[in-house]
Amino acid sequence: MFRILLRKFSEVFLFLLFIMFVSFLFIRLAPGDPVLTILNVEELSVSQEQVEAMREEMGFNDPLFVQFGKWLLDFVRLDFGVSYSTGQPVMATLLRALPATAELTAGALLVMLLVSVPLGSLSALYRGRWIDSLSRMLAIVGAAVPSFWLGLILIDLLGVRFAHLPTMGRDGFLSLILPSLTLGLAISSVYVRLLRSSLLDSLSQEFVRSARARGLSEARIFWLHALRHSLPPVITVFGVSLGSLIGGVVVIEVLFAYPGIGKLVVDAIRQRDYPLIQGYILIMAIVVFVVNALVDLSYRYLNPEMQLKEKEAAR
Amino acid sequence: MFSKKSLSAWTVIALTAGLLAACGNSGTDSAKPASAGSAGSSAEAGKHVSFLYNFSTDSLDPHVDSSYVPLRAGITETLVRLDEDNLTVAPWLAESWDSEDGRHWTIDLRDDVTFQNGKPMTGDAVKASLERALEESPSIQNALKIQSIEAEGDKLEITTTQPFPEFASELVHPNTAIIDVSESDIVNKPVGTGPFKLKAFTPGSKLELDRYDGYWNGASPLDSVTFAFNEDANARSLALKSGQVDIVYRPEVESLESLKAIDGMTVESTSTFRVHQLTMNMQRAPIQDPNVRRALDALIDRQGIVDTILLGYGEPAIGPFLPSLPFAPKYEHAAADSGPEAAVKHLEAAGYKPENGVMTKDGSPLKLTLLTYSSRADLPLIAQVFQSDAKKIGIEVEIRQIDTPEEYMASNRDWDIATYSNLTAPRGDAGYYLNATYHPTGSLNFSGSEDPKLTAIIDELNRTVAPEKRAKLAEQAANYVHDNVLNAFVLHPATIVAYNGKKVKNWVTTRSEYYMITNKLDVM
Repeated sequence: MFRILLRKFSEVFLFLLFIMFVSFLFIRLAPGDPVLTILNVEELSVSQEQVEAMREEMGFNDPLFVQFGKWLLDFVRLDFGVSYSTGQPVMATLLRALPATAELTAGALLVMLLVSVPLGSLSALYRGRWIDSLSRMLAIVGAAVPSFWLGLILIDLLGVRFAHLPTMGRDGFLSLILPSLTLGLAISSVYVRLLRSSLLDSLSQEFVRSARARGLSEARIFWLHALRHSLPPVITVFGVSLGSLIGGVVVIEVLFAYPGIGKLVVDAIRQRDYPLIQGYILIMAIVVFVVNALVDLSYRYLNPEMQLKEKEAAR
Repeated sequence: MFSKKSLSAWTVIALTAGLLAACGNSGTDSAKPASAGSAGSSAEAGKHVSFLYNFSTDSLDPHVDSSYVPLRAGITETLVRLDEDNLTVAPWLAESWDSEDGRHWTIDLRDDVTFQNGKPMTGDAVKASLERALEESPSIQNALKIQSIEAEGDKLEITTTQPFPEFASELVHPNTAIIDVSESDIVNKPVGTGPFKLKAFTPGSKLELDRYDGYWNGASPLDSVTFAFNEDANARSLALKSGQVDIVYRPEVESLESLKAIDGMTVESTSTFRVHQLTMNMQRAPIQDPNVRRALDALIDRQGIVDTILLGYGEPAIGPFLPSLPFAPKYEHAAADSGPEAAVKHLEAAGYKPENGVMTKDGSPLKLTLLTYSSRADLPLIAQVFQSDAKKIGIEVEIRQIDTPEEYMASNRDWDIATYSNLTAPRGDAGYYLNATYHPTGSLNFSGSEDPKLTAIIDELNRTVAPEKRAKLAEQAANYVHDNVLNAFVLHPATIVAYNGKKVKNWVTTRSEYYMITNKLDVM
């Protein structure tokens, strides 16, 4: 068991290094120059020699692999550098903003569950009826509407016209409602249809018929057997699409001035704040790994067959 | 298998859940009425104003933060400031300043100023603050060129590394603000001398400010201010509509009509020190001909661009400097020489003739590459208008979109003209712009301009201390740029501010965009 874990960890570590290397290259090859931002050429008098001297001093004239080597040495020492624009340690800045994003993602997932589980279940149970057509329509609209636009509409409706929910900032539960609603609604359209088709598949399985033959109530069959059996594909898609969920968070955080990690990275990209961008990519890579590991674990719980098969294989 | 009945039961459950959610909303509604007006938590008792700004920051370090929020929010102040009426440098924390040679400066400080922690602002405190700014900010180090600072009582003796006549005006820059450097958490809780002290800061979100009763220039009538950030223009406009904030900086231009329709809403705009321009690449053959440059300049439909692209929120530009600046030339001879006919005339003087509707010289047609970039949304639109106007008189303009103009223009010479946007006198002095844009060593000299006559004027400006003489030289340089059309200037965009005029009193929209929350700001 220890050896398996060790192997798993070294795999993850190597993969992280690979991701960091590729992103390091991309960030530096993209146009833009942090020196111009640091020296504030937009507003302050700077000569070309000063720009060049600064570039030399910060090591931007070194070959890329030398720059990466330096970064790697610091990385191994768990030193992620300081932000070019604020002079603050990168990790502290990112970890301070992370809870806000975690909160927002959790809120969005809750909304997504509240929308997609009832709608998905109902459209599977009443296939071809009005509720099924409604959910199909919502799914199409949901896929077509960009999340920032949905956000503006929700602000107009629930922030300006009919209620006075806070439309920006992070001040407790109320300010979480609008951004979670926007992000949650935007992602739920996929899951409604996915859960529906997965449920339809489960409901036609042998074990449902045998459960019925044993005289179990329809509600019990649905909740304990069919729904549980339908979740693995949904969770798989969730694990895979987590990246795009985080991408969606960026847009929503800017729109609602929600001080999370996404908003931080948008500013960092605009200012070519390399250490901050690099730190963000590292944190996100770790988050995605952890979530995917959890998804793997959840299969064992949701699908008893898997445990059985593992036991058989072990014999 | 499930009956029709249970579908209705499900529907009822869903509807109830929806209603409950709605009740939750209306509950909040009554708990927090819109008129309480706060961008979030504190709708405290007393006079309060909520301000919404268009940039956000994660650090309040007054010497580093490039959004200048500490100064804009009234926490910090600088030694000198820009007088917004005359657009000249005026005393603030410094009472007076003087230099004979532009290198040795004597600054007399006010003796009645205290920091927000009650400590007096002494010469030593100011010295320590300036030294921290030099240490923390490479850009300030470059800009101030300070060699040494000596403090004695309320007097500072500053020596610069070279004669530097615009030293005093550089002290207008917000990153030179005076703070108490003995405070422990400058990044999150700077202590300055301004009318408002910081109560709480949420990085990337907002500042809560309280009045500082011991403010030297008369304490504010307000008890507290919320200074919040939102980078989305639409969301800013909606926040004002919902009553969550009282003043919005740069609301969405398209939303202004609907804002104006709200009773009591006031929309103000004022031209800024920024100029949108067409930068000419002097290293390209057609552009080297002054007549071609005159033709391109004549072709720009400035008023049309202001009216259609900026919806009137801007001012057509003749030269780089805002006309209200003391050193802006009057350009009385300039007005008549524009429009497509004038452009054709200039091109003919340059030897071009229309052939099959294309302007041609010695058999080769006039084809230009125009650079533009999207981080300033107006510029690509200006490029398109120019392209279509040029086509009408037979000039083919190819628009090329680039990402980062400074980097591209500095390292590539395969373009003829470029849309660009410059701050021309951000601190009330022309030295920065003229040096950066026209001096051969300037970091923004993308034209590759190396005109000995103009360089001589700028060099002389760099040696001249007396403000009147400097103004004359700056005017001379601006006239030279205009007469030789070294660049073509399109417009000065305006800053727009919208606020609840029934509540907010004494708001001033400044041209420098430095001073926002002041001790005069009040509510009805």
